[in-house]
Parts: sequence; structure tokens; C-alpha cells
Amino acid sequence: MEKQNHKDTLPKLLLLNYEKYGNSKTALREKDRGIWQKYTWTKYFEIVRNLALALEGEGLKKGEKVAIIGENKPHVYWFELATQANRAAVVGIFSDCSASETKFFLEHSDCRFVVCQDQEQVDKVLEVKDQLPLLNKVIFWEEKGMWSYDHPDLLHMDTLLSRGSELNHSKPGHFEELIKKTRGEDQAVYFYSSGTTGQPKAAMQTHWNIINMAQQMDSRYPVLDSDESVSFLPIAWIAEQLFNVVHSLCKGFAVNFPEKQETVQENIREIGPQVLLLSPRLWEDTISDLRVKIADAMWLNRLFFDVAFKIGQKVADYKMEGRSISPVLRFGNVLADLMIFRPLRDRIGLGRIRLARTAGTAVSPDVIRYFHAIGVPLVQLYGSSECGVVTMHPQNQIKPESCGTALEGYEIKIAESGEIFVRSPFLFKGYYKEPEKSKNVIKDGYYLTGDFGRVDDDGHLIVMDRMDDLNHIGGDKVFSPQFAEIRLRFSPYIKDAIVVGEVSTEYAAVIINIDERNVGNWAEKKKLDYTTFADLSQRSEIIMLISQEIEEVNEYLPEYAQVKKFINLHKEFDPDEEEMTRTRKVRRAFMEKKYGQLIDAMFRNQKSTEMIASVAYRDGSITQLKSTLLVNDIG
Amino acid sequence: MKKKIELKEIELSFGGLKIISGISMDIQESELLAVIGPNGAGKSSLLNCISGFYRPQKGKIIFEGKDITKTSCLDRAKIGISRTFQHMELYNGLTVLDNLMSSRHNMMNYGIFSSFLYFGKARRQELDQREVIEDVIDLLEIEAIRHAVVGSLPYGLRKRVDLGRALASQPELLMLDEPMAGMNSEEKEDMARFILDIQELWKTSMVIIEHDMGVVMDISDRIVMIDFGEKIIEGTPDEVKNSPEVIQAYLGV
Repeated sequence: MEKQNHKDTLPKLLLLNYEKYGNSKTALREKDRGIWQKYTWTKYFEIVRNLALALEGEGLKKGEKVAIIGENKPHVYWFELATQANRAAVVGIFSDCSASETKFFLEHSDCRFVVCQDQEQVDKVLEVKDQLPLLNKVIFWEEKGMWSYDHPDLLHMDTLLSRGSELNHSKPGHFEELIKKTRGEDQAVYFYSSGTTGQPKAAMQTHWNIINMAQQMDSRYPVLDSDESVSFLPIAWIAEQLFNVVHSLCKGFAVNFPEKQETVQENIREIGPQVLLLSPRLWEDTISDLRVKIADAMWLNRLFFDVAFKIGQKVADYKMEGRSISPVLRFGNVLADLMIFRPLRDRIGLGRIRLARTAGTAVSPDVIRYFHAIGVPLVQLYGSSECGVVTMHPQNQIKPESCGTALEGYEIKIAESGEIFVRSPFLFKGYYKEPEKSKNVIKDGYYLTGDFGRVDDDGHLIVMDRMDDLNHIGGDKVFSPQFAEIRLRFSPYIKDAIVVGEVSTEYAAVIINIDERNVGNWAEKKKLDYTTFADLSQRSEIIMLISQEIEEVNEYLPEYAQVKKFINLHKEFDPDEEEMTRTRKVRRAFMEKKYGQLIDAMFRNQKSTEMIASVAYRDGSITQLKSTLLVNDIG
Repeated sequence: MKKKIELKEIELSFGGLKIISGISMDIQESELLAVIGPNGAGKSSLLNCISGFYRPQKGKIIFEGKDITKTSCLDRAKIGISRTFQHMELYNGLTVLDNLMSSRHNMMNYGIFSSFLYFGKARRQELDQREVIEDVIDLLEIEAIRHAVVGSLPYGLRKRVDLGRALASQPELLMLDEPMAGMNSEEKEDMARFILDIQELWKTSMVIIEHDMGVVMDISDRIVMIDFGEKIIEGTPDEVKNSPEVIQAYLGV
């Protein structure tokens, strides 16, 4: 691939869009004070210019790192580009990280500057600042609650903006000079891998890499500059960076930012995006919501929906299998679409959706089938912080169980062990400060993903599980916990599950995290009274309910790996207790150790087990909780 | 420091029942004053005297140097005295936004014609008032329930809306009657934070009646304790905490 010098860095792309669209087109839109406030490309450019000049004035140098901690707001984009215009790299930190996690990231990345959204983030940083000798500027943008802070290293974004604007007056054209100096091979972003195993590592990506990654995706599903996208997955995550930050700069479409985490659903509906990326969990939640609401509806509405859904599902399945659809069925589907699916899509904000994507962890094939049935073209993709997006479903070639075929420039090889190897010109440049670990994951130009999978006859990649998570059951039979887990998660009553197996037994067992809201609603409808989550989870009716859900999933599982025992956990899986990563992936090794007692109870035929657990609260305090958990049999 | 409001020898009785007998006190500019005391001590009645709900038989109320003893409730609201109620008095059938807007009502004066068509003065005024409301929504973090009907909200949130409505009139003096009653500790913490934010950001003078001594000691600048309609003690939280009168009134020993 040839390097294009006028558009090989993000700041250069910003300059191009500014020259192309100026004030005539919205680049970013944020809901603030109840109104969608827009920023045109000119405004975007000016803010980034002022910030970049001010940061330069503060002494930001080439090759340095600036950490950004915040929820999705235009400010994150401004600071990112301002940093990159100074040829420095951005380190994204998840906004729900604890103070000690934040300290790890800031220390490991040697940041001198950190940009915080609000008081909450500033407090975290100030708490650990004494232990970070390098850190000397804490910048923030939301003033609320910060009125009486007078820490000497605090700096408000408005101060930077006005300083930048003065600098621009005294040195006009200097910002454009800065941009010209940026190079495609500059480090753009450090992605801290979610760390399902061990300490997080920072994968370094250059501008040239991430721009090419975004372009490869775009060549499969071209996005128009008139499209709208909604940004609300963590910015520290590569998928959000590629799909929104980088892609919008490449193609000029508008990115919208919800008002609050709690208003996301409503805000998506107001925008009606054409392109949208959600995590599997959010797609699953949408289905759970729909199913619960439909179950609550009047019998006539239910009947209509059920008939329409059957037609939709059939048409979607036929399309996926490449079978021809009879005119009658086709007509039925048009009718179903007009009467049911179109209003339904509008309700969930997907009325104009053209490209819906899921990435991050595996999703149940049923989720993909469900959305195709109601006319939402959901595609799955596979990638990682190290190699970007590797595969994606091609248009009109959706296989619900696969992650699609390799994008142009990517080459996939399945090792003898079944591990997926990936080669491409845009592989990451190694882990920051960890040359040993970098060497371990790159062999003969291939990146060793650590995922287990296969490629089918049509070139579709099917990812089964993490290599480390595969284990043997009933002697020598290979068994993939994830295969069962994603199907369990499809149940509206199961939020999360962790499936375990043992070499010596001929069955699997599972620890279930019930979905409090949906199970709670179900209990209310059945007039069951309950007090707490722990109480609800151990009610015999709920155990029956979950047991039926598991039985349904068992039909998909080979006999030796069917789930025969389960325990409803007394609490939710929680990233604050390190049970999950910040992107909500279960940390299996940690969980198996933590809940070893429960697993033992299930495999040693105990009837119940007493669990004494310490619970960590948001403020860091810990209390002890004692509960009796029942071991339940299936069938 | 300037006095925001001054009460002089207030006396209030219903028939033969004496509720308040000669209380004098003052509230300073941007001060957070807590009024404590056992049930039936006359705390809410005192608030009612300040807001104009009750007319004291004797005594004077001076607000920003002006005697307002004879001023009506409505006029007191106009000069910047606002309150929340112990049992919320919200419009349950209206949305949060409409409830908040209702407290800006006396600042709008467009006619029925322009309000039908929502143009000219009506539109301009509604938009201006909405801006103030949005500040309140932002401060109290109730964006997500902006369009929710108040009656459908849980108790803690309704309390917050109630505070929002009092705030929406941009008061000079804000009186909160048990803002944290019936809340769990997390909700109380949020509420305390909002109250401190209001004080810090808008420099509003506040009177708060609250039974949770932990909260009172943490957030107030000064405490007045009353019992049987009389002021027992007045002072900073530290002074009040250890006074034998407070211990006696609360613990009965």
C-alpha cells in the first residue's frame, strides 16, 4: 500500500475536511442542556487548533503521551487530535477505572499530561498524583463541583482555549505547520489490552495503521458523508476509535454524543443513525427488552408479532442460506415489515440503520438471526487492539455463527493447535515497554491471537473461544465454555454465565448471573415476593425458570458437554471486583479461582454451599456477605 | 457578612396553642443554616412564617433590609424566597420539565393568543425560561427523566425534582424542609452533594430542616436548635454537638 502524504495522519485528515466542508457541514453533535448542539468542521478545526497550540505552549513534545479519561464527548476527540498534531500519542483510560487502575495506566505510559472529564476523574488522579512524579498537568473540561479546587497543576480547558487563540493570533499559520510535520509512522494511540489475563499491555498503533484499518472496513461497507453515527462505547477501546474517531475523519460523516449514559437509548432514537457499533451485550439487552415488552403486550399484539416474526425469521434464514424465497413469503415479509418491523425499528432507534455492527466478544448466532428477522442488517466482526479489524461479514453473505471473511490486506492462518494467526501490513508496533511480550506474540510476521477457531469452505472465520479457556471434559473431549455461554446469555433471564467442565466428569456446570430486571419483572407478574438480588436468585420458582432456559441451550450442546448442574450467583459479576474487564468480558481464570468453592460443590454433588464473600463498593470499602447458594440439577 | 434575613421576636399561636414563642435569629448571605429539634418543636412552622404561609402574631421579618412581615406569599416568592415541602407538593400528572417550568410561571407574561400559536413573545419567553431550567437539570443530574411523568418516579427522584422546582425560581433564600427524609444513604449523599453545589455555585442562602444529625453536622455552617417553640442553642456544628441541651432534647437524659 502506498503512503499518501497529505492524508496519512488524523490531524491532516481534519485539515482536509475543514477545507472541504468548512461551516457547511456538521462534524460532531452533542446533546447538552436538552438540545443537540452542533460543531461544524470549521469549529472542530478551530478548537483543535487552539488546544494544540496551547498544549505546545505547555511543553508537550513529540513522542510524549497524553492520557484522556472521560465518557464519550466531543472534547475527547478535540484533545486527541490536538495531542496528535503535536506528534504525541493518546492513551485512552476507561472512565470507570478505579484510582489504582488509573495510576497503573498513567505510570506505565509515562504521561506528563492527563485530560479528565469532570470532578470524579480529577479526584481519582489527584488521589494518586503524589505517586506519579512525571505527571505535571491535570486538565479538565467539566466545571461542575470544581469551583473551589485550587490545586496548582489543575488547568481548565477554557484557559487552554483562550491561550491557544492568543498564540494563533501571534503566530498565524503555525498550527498548519505543525500538522504538516506529522507523519504516518508517528504513534497515534496506545490501546491498553483489556487484560483478561494478567496485567494490561499497551499496544502501540501508528496513524498509518489505524487509517488503513478504517479504510479497509470502509471498502467493504462504504459509509457516506451524509450518514450519522452515535458514539458511546468506551473511547479507550480500539473499535470505537476505528469506527468513529478515525472513520469519521476519513469519510466526513457526523458523530453524535449522547447526553448521559442513561439517555443513550432515547438519544439514539432522536438521531436515527445509519451506522452504529454496539457491543454484543448491548445488542443482547435490546433483544431482552423487546422480548419482555412483547410478553407484556396484549394477546392480539403478541399474536401479530409472533406471526410477523416467524415470517421475518424464515426470510432471513433463507437469505443467509442463499435459498430462493417464494413470492408468497416475500409478500408476507413486505407486509410484516410495513406493519410490525418498521415501527419496531423506529422504536429502538434503528429506523434508518444501514450498517449495524457488533464487535468485542462473541455473540450468539441467535442474536444475529433475530436482528436480521426484524430487518436490522447486523454484521459481526473480529479484531483486536493488536491487529485492528481482521474479518467482517461480506454484504449479502451473512453466516450467523461466523465472523465473516478477512478484509483486504489481511491473511489468516490456522495453526495446527487451532490457534488463529493473523498477518497484515497494519500490525501493531509492539507493546509499550514490553519487547519480550511483543516478541512472544509475533511469529514469522504473524500475530498470534490466542483465539481458537477455524476457517470454513467459504473463507469465513469461525472463532470458538480463547485458546487458554478451552479445556477437556469427560476424558479427552475438547470443550469450549464460550460456545455455551453466548447461547445462555441469549436468554432474557440470564445476564451472564460462566461454564466450567472437568476432565473426570461427563457434564458441564454453570454459574449464572440472573438478569435482575427481567427476572424481577417475571417474579412480579407471578406475584412472587422477594427482597434482594440474593433472595431472588435462590427462589425455587426462579431456579425452575433458569433450569428451563438451560435445558433449551443443552439441545445445542454435545451430550458430553451438556450442563447438568448450576448455581445462581447471589450477586452480579462486577468489573470493580476484577471479575470482568472494563469492556465487560468475563475474566475466567480469576473467576474460576474465586468461585472454586462453588465449582467444587457442583462437581462433588453437594446440595448447597455457604458462600462468604467480600463485596467491594464504588468508594473502595469492603464488607463481608454470607449467603447460602443452592446447587441445582437439570433434568 | 451581610444578613440575608432577620427574624425578630417571632410569636405564633393557633388559638391557645403557642407554636413559636419569641424566636429571633438571622441567616447570613450564602450561609447554610440548619434548624434542628424534636418533632413538634415548631421547625416547619418557622419556615412557614418565613415563606408567608403563616402570619406570626408578633415580631418582624426583615429580608435584605426590608420589612416583609406583611408581604404576601406570592410577593415573597417574587423577591426570591423559595422552599420545598416535607411532603412533596408536585404536580404528579405533569412531566419533570413542566413541573420545573411551573416555578418560572410568574416570570412570563405573554397572552393567550401568542401562547396558542407559540410565536413572538411566548416563544421567546419560554425559551429564556427553559435555559434557566436546563441549568437546574444539569446541576441535579436529572437529564434522563426530563420527560418522565413525576407520578411515575421513585421517591428519591421526586424529592430531587421538588428541590429542582424550588431552585428553578433562582431563589435568594432557599428553605428545605427535610430534604432527605426517607432516603437511603446513597440518595442522602447525592442530596448533600447537590445542596453543597448549590451553595458553592449560586451562593444561595439556605435553611435546612433535617433529622439526620450526621448530614447536618457535615454540611451546615451554623445550627439553630429549637424545642417547644423556643430557641435552645445556636452555634457552629462543633459547638452544638457537645452541648448538654441538644443531648437532652434528643436523648431525653
